[in-house]
Amino acid sequence: MKLALEFDHVSKEYRSLFGRRFRALDGFSLQVYPTEIFGFLGPNGAGKTTAIHLAMGFMRPTSGSGRLLGEPFGHAITRRRVGFLPENLGLYPRPAEQLVRFYGALNGMKASDLKPRAGEVLEMVGLEDHARRNVSRFSRGMLQRVGLAQALVNDPELLILDEPTSALDPVARVGVRELLMRARTQGKTIFLSSHLLSEIELLCDRVAVLHRGRLVRLGRTDELLESYERTEIAARGIKANGIAKAIAPERSSWNFDPDGMLRIAVPRDQQRATISRIWEAGGEVVSVVPQRRSLEEIFLEVTSGADSAAAGGVQ
Amino acid sequence: MKAILVIAINFVREQRWPVLVMLLWVLLLAFLGLTTEAARSKRPTPIKEQGEDLLFVFKQVAVYVVAFSVFFGSSAIFNDRRSRRILSVLSKAIGRQDYLSGLVLGITLASAIYCIALGVTGSWTLGEVGFPVRQVWFLMVCLLAACMLAGTVALMFSTFLNPFFAAGATAATMGLPFLLSHTSGNAMWTLVIPVNALAAAVLKSSFEAPATGSWMAIFLALAETVVFWFLAAKIFSYMDIAVSVE
Repeated sequence: MKLALEFDHVSKEYRSLFGRRFRALDGFSLQVYPTEIFGFLGPNGAGKTTAIHLAMGFMRPTSGSGRLLGEPFGHAITRRRVGFLPENLGLYPRPAEQLVRFYGALNGMKASDLKPRAGEVLEMVGLEDHARRNVSRFSRGMLQRVGLAQALVNDPELLILDEPTSALDPVARVGVRELLMRARTQGKTIFLSSHLLSEIELLCDRVAVLHRGRLVRLGRTDELLESYERTEIAARGIKANGIAKAIAPERSSWNFDPDGMLRIAVPRDQQRATISRIWEAGGEVVSVVPQRRSLEEIFLEVTSGADSAAAGGVQ
Repeated sequence: MKAILVIAINFVREQRWPVLVMLLWVLLLAFLGLTTEAARSKRPTPIKEQGEDLLFVFKQVAVYVVAFSVFFGSSAIFNDRRSRRILSVLSKAIGRQDYLSGLVLGITLASAIYCIALGVTGSWTLGEVGFPVRQVWFLMVCLLAACMLAGTVALMFSTFLNPFFAAGATAATMGLPFLLSHTSGNAMWTLVIPVNALAAAVLKSSFEAPATGSWMAIFLALAETVVFWFLAAKIFSYMDIAVSVE
């Protein structure tokens, strides 16, 4: 299968005028498959934007290589099939519709196709009423939406979005989320770098966490969110707090639902013993499921864990 | 090819205010030249003396455009990088050499607007006092070739230097052959980078010798523009354009 995006042991080192070196990416490898929404996470300075800029051909890797839609990074013609939204967007000061047409023309689109397409994409990002207004008078959120429109104008196969919703209000954010969902149903691949973990959690099929230029976690979002280290046991028929306390082992937490269901989150090695105690206390086990965590918890765990174990590879 | 033209037109559009000011300056001087000449024609001033004054102003105004083309060339990439507009442009299906071609064409178009305005006003004012109109346009061709080369040299330096140093390096590069021709006494040196030779053709023109420039210098300027464009494209292909230029 042809990959949408591939990094193969890519390293990137910046050098200052005085010879000081800074390694932004260190042997970074990643594969993004067609038609998936891929979340790219990492704290500030982790190397996310560097990786994206390498993929777009804005810079060359110090070592390693990569491919964008099957062609080496920097292949200009391939970018016709790519839509890109940079993190800090710079736009020429002119009416939104003209600007979108300008970017479409750079991609070789015909003038006859550009006018309707520009209107269409501006409508998609909710700027149809501002199409004739100069973007220099736009708010940051509106500029972000023009940026999305210029990324979409050529109907790309692959969308590379660096913090697409960072400047948007909640309503616009929902709009962008729906737009990306729709893009996926149309068979597009989306590579999404964001600090908004809730967005990534809702949207992405797979996520990668980058820290200090290294990939520290990669996997399917639903698998990452499920903890195999802790299990949540739901039991009926146990009413008293005292009994619940007796059943719950150490390093566990428990609570009663409003309908009286006891929920105990236990370490995995305590799961069998806890179930036995519930039965002995006359309770009935309703469900045993791996506990679900938030992406924020995983992110914090991975990035703080990687600090103490800097040599760690992909987990 | 279409993308190159789009970038060139975009460049001229971005530089519309300097271009407009230059045009107004040309028109203002042409107006002043004509009104002065009209006032003089009522007095018994010899026509040759009137013409010399007009030609002097015309020559001074003409060579400014070479400095403008250096200014355009040395700041074009820097402005796009500082504003981060270059990222959204180069994220499209255009190579860096196309981007540079667009800028060279844009600098040439901006200079051509000035040269055409100067050619029209020059034909009008100098034609009145007997300067051959055909030679006015030949001098404009010399000037445009000089602008194209000077702008491309500046653009080449600006791929790795900030605008101030790029402009300085361009001035040094253009001045070196002129210096060598003076020290060695060999006039052929001026053809190495013939910006000075072409500007001198404009500055030395007179009623007695209206056209001192040569087609050879014009063709050399065009050929060297291609060479410097190629050098610029080679250097620019290795640059990390996403790195801050501040």
